[in-house]
Amino acid sequence: MRCTYSCGSAEHVLSRRSFLGGTAALLGGAVAGVPGFSPFALADSLEKKRKQILVVYLAGGSSQLETWDPKPKTETGGPFGAIETSVPGIMISELLPRTAKLMHLMALVRGVNTHAAAVDDHGKGDYLMHTGRAQAPGQEYPRLGAVASKFLGKETDALPGYIHIAPGHGGLGRNESAFLGPRHAPLYLGNGQAPANTLRDPAITDPADQSRQAFRCMLNDRFAKRRRSAETEAYTSTYEQAAKLMRERDVFDISKEHAADRFRYGDFDFGRHCLLARRLLEAGATYVQCVHSNYDTHNENFAFHLEQVGEFDQGFSALLEDLHVRGRLEHTLVIVMSEFGRTPHINFYQGRDHWCKAWSIALAGCGIKKGIALGKTNAKGTEVVDHEVTGGHLFHTYLNAVGLDPAGGFEVDGRPIQIAEPTATSIKELLA
Amino acid sequence: MKPNRNPLTAVLIAFASLWACSRVDAAETAADAAKKVGTLAKPQPTLPKDQTSNSVASAASLPLHERIDRLIEQGLETKFALPATDGEFVRRVHLDLTGMIPSADEARDFIDDPSPYKRDKLIDHLLAAPAYARRMQIVFDVMLMERRDQQKVPADQWKTYLYQSFLENKPYDQLVKEILSGDGSDPTNRGPAKFYLEREGDPYILTRDVGRLFLGRDMQCAQCHDHPLVDDYKQAHYHGLYAFFSRTYGVQPAGGAFMLGEKGEGDVTYKSVFKKKITHTTGPRVIDAAPPVEPTVVKGEEYWVAPVNGTRAIPKHSRRSLLPAALASNENPAFARNAANRLWALLLGRGLVDPVDFDHSDNPPSHPELLDLLANEFAQSHYNIKAFMREIMLTRAYQRSSEPPAEVSPADLAAERYAVANLRPLSAEQLAWSVMRAAGIVDAKRAEVERSLIGVDPRFRAIARLDPKREALAERLIESETYRSLVGNEQPFVHFFSAGAGQAQDRLAPTVHQALFLSNGDPIRYWLGPSPSWLVGRASALSDPAATADLLYLALLSRRPTGEERAAIVASLAPRTADKPKAVQEIAWAIVASSEFRYNH
Repeated sequence: MRCTYSCGSAEHVLSRRSFLGGTAALLGGAVAGVPGFSPFALADSLEKKRKQILVVYLAGGSSQLETWDPKPKTETGGPFGAIETSVPGIMISELLPRTAKLMHLMALVRGVNTHAAAVDDHGKGDYLMHTGRAQAPGQEYPRLGAVASKFLGKETDALPGYIHIAPGHGGLGRNESAFLGPRHAPLYLGNGQAPANTLRDPAITDPADQSRQAFRCMLNDRFAKRRRSAETEAYTSTYEQAAKLMRERDVFDISKEHAADRFRYGDFDFGRHCLLARRLLEAGATYVQCVHSNYDTHNENFAFHLEQVGEFDQGFSALLEDLHVRGRLEHTLVIVMSEFGRTPHINFYQGRDHWCKAWSIALAGCGIKKGIALGKTNAKGTEVVDHEVTGGHLFHTYLNAVGLDPAGGFEVDGRPIQIAEPTATSIKELLA
Repeated sequence: MKPNRNPLTAVLIAFASLWACSRVDAAETAADAAKKVGTLAKPQPTLPKDQTSNSVASAASLPLHERIDRLIEQGLETKFALPATDGEFVRRVHLDLTGMIPSADEARDFIDDPSPYKRDKLIDHLLAAPAYARRMQIVFDVMLMERRDQQKVPADQWKTYLYQSFLENKPYDQLVKEILSGDGSDPTNRGPAKFYLEREGDPYILTRDVGRLFLGRDMQCAQCHDHPLVDDYKQAHYHGLYAFFSRTYGVQPAGGAFMLGEKGEGDVTYKSVFKKKITHTTGPRVIDAAPPVEPTVVKGEEYWVAPVNGTRAIPKHSRRSLLPAALASNENPAFARNAANRLWALLLGRGLVDPVDFDHSDNPPSHPELLDLLANEFAQSHYNIKAFMREIMLTRAYQRSSEPPAEVSPADLAAERYAVANLRPLSAEQLAWSVMRAAGIVDAKRAEVERSLIGVDPRFRAIARLDPKREALAERLIESETYRSLVGNEQPFVHFFSAGAGQAQDRLAPTVHQALFLSNGDPIRYWLGPSPSWLVGRASALSDPAATADLLYLALLSRRPTGEERAAIVASLAPRTADKPKAVQEIAWAIVASSEFRYNH
């Protein structure tokens, strides 16, 4: 039975195996039991320079004052102090002692102002920071993960181009890849678990599965041949992805990593998710987003940040250091961001509210200058006084950093659409 | 003996008591219902008559569906798709009016019926059946609640309210007025108040959602200034709508349920972030319609019950109570227009204005004149939803095939030209119920309910059919009980095939998670099991493999297999005599996972 498009059929399995090379095929059984060693390393070594992106998203809006831009001993500064980092002159919050030692790998952006896009709203801030554009009804642009999947990913990749490690199970239905379609939509790993339903009913043998898939393909061919195929193609492609994922399900299992690493990254969700992110990046994932939740501290900002930033510091610093030591950082762009920052003003409940006028993000790795802090806020942190940037600038910069042209375009229904918001530009001072 | 805990007991008692009654006034026959639906064929003198061509000016004497078709077809020189095949049609109409595909028997009977009137007959038959009310209950629940968690009002109360409303074909304006009049204070009627209460009476959320869902205008971006991209959306419109809600708040009085309170004072002022020096004041107002008249309230005497922390204030003059009449009014053309556009989108797969909540002059309808016509007719029919849907379903546009004619350009096939039927992915609920229907779960449950209700004695059943009112009541009870027993199975489908809570639920992209669920998830694996009364069991029991193929196709795809397909199945079953049920199960799964099953086409 003929199948006019790839659909997880035996031929595709074979071609992917041959890509991995005879060695992997031979060693397949032997390496499976060795923790921390994955056959992906073999494939990965073929393209060492492949650009990847890691986003650590501090959901809810982390406080710049308790992270990258502390203002100790001012009326807005709160109780925590600032500490020296590995870069003389750059001080960050004392809640980040481990990350402080890696500052020479990083670049801080302290002049983020997203007020023009009116983003004191979680949804809008989230949208702006992931697309570089203000949200408008009737328009959906693909998120950074989908863009990375499209332009940095490859058809032959074993893993989906956009992987999202979420604390809960949520978010299954958001249209994050917009017009780029389901091939570039996020794969959600709810609470760091392998996606649901990746195990086939054991009663269905391989030949039985092949025959039923072939029959499905025959039906789809008949249907698509006589109807517009773009809509059904998107649907049928999800079965190809499913077949790939079912073959690769071990890659989501961090119990295959060394116990010492699990300890070092932290015995809590975010630590485990960071370790999973490392495992996925090493398996060749193009874009991994790791969400740490929740920083929306309208009440008890300081108690919450003490706990949350502590977790972040441990998991993130372990991951950043490993990427560096293992030589991956030079081709992996690392972004730590939120939907917005938090008010310098401390409210009645010892909380800080949403604040988009003057806040910070942190970058590291591929294409980014090392050991710098760009931009400046005033003494109380209420305004940007130097190098003000917005979501559009940052989005351009990310693309430049991984070697993509922000002015490049998609063609959607015959209409050219620029990848990044056309009125913004890259932040040259950040680019290496 | 153990007491009878059969959940059917209550239903049986209800049925038995009605059976004993001499009057069954709640019930109505299919014929009554069909009469009630009415038609919109009466010509309307308000139609534009400026055309010099023959097309529309002379159309006023034609039935509405014909006028719709002329407006779609005028100026389109392209070839249209052929009318849908019987198989396509019966599947489409069942999905649209019952929320699930037809059974194999229904599909076969329809395809084999030689009557030239069978399409109209099927539409009328399904519009009169209780499954129509169920389908619309689900559509309106998802549209208005957008899958919010149920915190304040149990979903059952709201869904029952919607179901009853559609069962009696309540006019759309009345439905909306009831929903927007609820405040949750009447414990016996909290269902319709769910719209407000699950949004916690938040004035901003209500402003946005009333604008989107009942006016087709997402004016969120006009909150702080006139909309930056849309000239028609003024800051004044946002705040005029907001003024109906600005005094409203949610409150849970001690020992009571969550409900709405309202203050009797407080005006809405706003200024543009771009012109901060000018402050505007507005009272409640729906877009550009004349503001509703407000009574003068003496200062200091604003309240029946004055606001005290944690209690529900009752003002002498409630601004929120002005909304239903001001919104659902002929003074406000956006009301009928939005509803007409949404019902059109429901049946045609694309709104004339698209997206449906972004109606403004820079995003004009694909067929402006048609949208005006639909909105007018809908309003003039006193918002008769059934009659309106019936006219749309009688159009050639609705009844076209989804297969394009040969040699047409892709531009001619654009979704907004309606030259070819648009493919519409099944909703989460349609998918769940369609798999259950095809697998035989729904019909097995129905048979079980029917046995409990009417018994197994054929004479008794024949007697029961003699009285159409009782027959209709029985159908309603059977449908309700079947729905109640199986509705829990929707849940995993909703999990994988819906957008997040509080977001619009249309335009979902397919995901790998869905494919994994359909491939390996428990429900489908279980339903395609070889139980003798279910599809795979029945199809395996047929000795003729061609008959097996026919049954599978009729049950799953509402058509017979092509010769080639039948041969493929016969060939694949031939070597599998030892494990035929497994072989049949593989084929059934492949069909469920195919595009043809996934889409309403």
